[in-house]
Amino acid sequence: MSMLQVSDLSVSYGGSRILDGVSFSVEAGQWLMIIGPNGAGKTTVINAVSQGAPYTGTVLFEGTDVKTMKSRELARCVGVLTQNHYVGYGFTVEEVIRLGSYAHRPGLFEKGRDDSEARVADAVEKTGMERFLKQSVLTLSGGELQRAFLAQLFVQDPRMLLLDEPTNHLDLIYQKQVFALVRKWMDDTGGAVISVVHDLSLARAYGTHALLMKHGRTVDFGPIGDVMTPENINGVYGMDVYDWMRTMYGQWVQE
Amino acid sequence: MKQRREGFRPATYVLFLAVTAAALVLCVCLGSVSLPLKDTLRTLVRAALGLAQDARSLAPSIVVPVRLPRVLCVAAVGAALSLCGAAMQGLLKNPLADGSTMGVSSGASLGAIIALAFGVSVPGLPFAGTTVLAILFAFGSLLLILGVAYRLDSSLSTNTIILLGVIFSMFASSVSSFIITFAGERVKTIMFWTLGSLQGSSYQNAAVLYVTLAVCGAILLAHGRELNAFAVGEDNARNIGVYVRRVKLTVLICVSVLIGVCVSVSGTIGFVGLVTPHMLRRLTGPNHRRLLPASVFGGAVFLMLADLLARTVLSPRELPIGVVTSFVGSIVFVYIFFRSRGR
Amino acid sequence: MSRKIIALLLAALLCVSVLAGCGAKQETPAEDASPAEETTPAETPEEPAEETPAEETPAEETPAEEPAASVTVTDMTGREITLDGPATRVVALSAADCEVLCALGCGDALVGRGEYCNWPEEILDVPVVQSGADTNIEQIISLQPQVLLMSTMAQTEEQVKALEDAGIKVVVSDAMDIEGIYTSVGIIGKLMDKEEQAGEIVNGMKSTFEDLKAKAAAWEGDQMSVYFEISPLEWGLWTAGTGTFYDEIANILNLKNAFGDVAGYAEISEEQVIERKPDAIVTISMYYGEGPTPVEEILSRPGWDVIPAVANEKILNLQNDELSRPAPRLAEGAQMLYDFMYGE
Repeated sequence: MSMLQVSDLSVSYGGSRILDGVSFSVEAGQWLMIIGPNGAGKTTVINAVSQGAPYTGTVLFEGTDVKTMKSRELARCVGVLTQNHYVGYGFTVEEVIRLGSYAHRPGLFEKGRDDSEARVADAVEKTGMERFLKQSVLTLSGGELQRAFLAQLFVQDPRMLLLDEPTNHLDLIYQKQVFALVRKWMDDTGGAVISVVHDLSLARAYGTHALLMKHGRTVDFGPIGDVMTPENINGVYGMDVYDWMRTMYGQWVQE
Repeated sequence: MKQRREGFRPATYVLFLAVTAAALVLCVCLGSVSLPLKDTLRTLVRAALGLAQDARSLAPSIVVPVRLPRVLCVAAVGAALSLCGAAMQGLLKNPLADGSTMGVSSGASLGAIIALAFGVSVPGLPFAGTTVLAILFAFGSLLLILGVAYRLDSSLSTNTIILLGVIFSMFASSVSSFIITFAGERVKTIMFWTLGSLQGSSYQNAAVLYVTLAVCGAILLAHGRELNAFAVGEDNARNIGVYVRRVKLTVLICVSVLIGVCVSVSGTIGFVGLVTPHMLRRLTGPNHRRLLPASVFGGAVFLMLADLLARTVLSPRELPIGVVTSFVGSIVFVYIFFRSRGR
Repeated sequence: MSRKIIALLLAALLCVSVLAGCGAKQETPAEDASPAEETTPAETPEEPAEETPAEETPAEETPAEEPAASVTVTDMTGREITLDGPATRVVALSAADCEVLCALGCGDALVGRGEYCNWPEEILDVPVVQSGADTNIEQIISLQPQVLLMSTMAQTEEQVKALEDAGIKVVVSDAMDIEGIYTSVGIIGKLMDKEEQAGEIVNGMKSTFEDLKAKAAAWEGDQMSVYFEISPLEWGLWTAGTGTFYDEIANILNLKNAFGDVAGYAEISEEQVIERKPDAIVTISMYYGEGPTPVEEILSRPGWDVIPAVANEKILNLQNDELSRPAPRLAEGAQMLYDFMYGE
């Protein structure tokens, strides 16, 4: 049984089809990269799987239809990190990170105890947020804010992370930090990751599998090396991507 | 790592209660008619113990039948309105959300006016008709405004909400005026109703207010953590496992019931729900586990003091309490708006 | 750009909300003093009947007289208005002017009435015209009056000009006291070529007031105080202070207005009423036939039992604007109040 099994996923919005019959699966220990040009529907896949958009088709997490899961149960299975965060009020970094424990708190009439305390300390340390804890999130830079939400995600402790272009606006140093942290999380917990990335080099560097999309449809899906072939990539992007990449990175090699 | 306490310590609650009780005693001791403090206190003690009152003193006729029920009602309305304001501001991640800015109060007024104009009543409970329609219309207005707002702008930005609130308020008042025009002999009653008055507040009014506040207030206070998640962002709330739809519906129903009951007892009192949470947020921070209880006490104290001003400043005349709260509220409103734009 | 628009909208919202708070409260008593509700037909059949026959005779004489030449009056803002002849078609915006017209026997000349004009009952068939901001100038013009009677604040200057351009003379009658009523009766009498009847009305009122004043002055008991309740507790207590007809009548009748220290119509504290212990209460609340009557409602108020008026059940319910309008009926109201306070 796959950790995540997505079959025939379709999403329509305002009469137009944004996703059309997308199917793929993810196993524990895999990092699936969703790639494709703008408008391919990459983010919509993440939204549908995390129940943030209405869809048809089935999404099974370890054999259970996620539509039937309670919100907290789902949050213990999959956690999402989005691209942008606009926090409305001046919550402290600690308050935002602690919100991650929501899905682990026993409800009003439930038994059990919250075991997330140790994870809070661990997540804060891993992401290097100690010195920001008492600070208002409104004062953080984009990279610091993204790390704070990554720490929240670690406290949430899901089995699978869904990352929606998490480093899009970040400096290279934060890009490297975030991807290294996610890789380490995967190695430590044996979980799985699905991420949407624009940067094909990042996709190749960190992904184990890839889902190549165009216009809401699957172009190819499989191990990263099998999907990211010159024919596939050049065809989807409508240009000689390989030549362009070689030109770009060649400049650095010569120095 | 040490868990920092999110809510208030019991000692803080004792402090809040003491401040509220002090404000209540102050407001019962001061009024349009100045009574000797000794008489007032003696009257209260005798009333509490069920002893006969001193027939020569004026205090028994004023303190127990007139002043105390009014102060009790004012405290409950203040607590309810600012709790609603704080909850809505968290839920919609919008510091300007409030019953009056979002048109919910106007909607509740419209409901009550319809009840008065068409004689809607619940058998045996003459005032229940206005209250029930006020609640239903408050809830309907909220659903309508939020429904349209989501369609226009799913991020529910400040501008969208406020513009829709203004438009809806105008719409509701125009429908009210239309009904008043055709309401015939009941016209006068209705025109006074839209202004609302805390005069003539009775112990029955107070009982209805406190029961509603206890039920809906407890539900809202229990949702502090969820409201924190919404205040950080609705997407984030869903991601961490908050049942977004159910929480939103629960909060909106509680807010509608509270605003509906307040409007049917005291008419619309503007800006209380805006001013007190804003002032308190500077003391407690944005965390709703602290902000919500603080709003209950802060709102009660704020409105009791505003009412004290309304009752005494021009004695023997009375100012409508809405004049006092709108005056303070308008200034704070513009201040928040410019600050939030400037950031 | 959009920021400015929003800032403007907000500013407008604030103004509206603040003004709604103050403005509405100030306006209400005036409207209340000449309440909008229509008189329930069942309650008042006799009184107009008394009035009308007496006035009808001169009304029928009019056509027989020679039509007078041009008529010139000076209205109560000091403007001089000249008509080619006595007015035969009149629109009256204020309830008092309607009453004056009818008292002069010119009810037939009334072709349009303001929305609060409800006395006497016959005029309820006359078309209603809006006044103030909602004025429908076209509607008034289409009624083809020669004269529009109104109080000072009823129309804006632009509206007055539009009416005068259409050939309709605007006459302002704005009595602020009893002396003013005599003036306005005189002006309207002259307009309608009823100066004789106007004189009779004024003299009748004067003699009633003088008679009542003399009788009340002879009262040997302590001066009694009276509290005028314009709006019931449920909507906030409003009373009539100095500068109102209520207060003027109270003075004539040797009564002390319990709120003589308040100017005009004002919202007052319930506590103050209890403290001032009036000997009598006059309420103008309407009774709609359900629930407690206005008098019963006052008697049931908690804490009010220490007020002599409540303890002795000395509460008068006037439902027909007897004491609020600058019209001849004020003399009847004064008589009713005298009878109530001093007995027959």
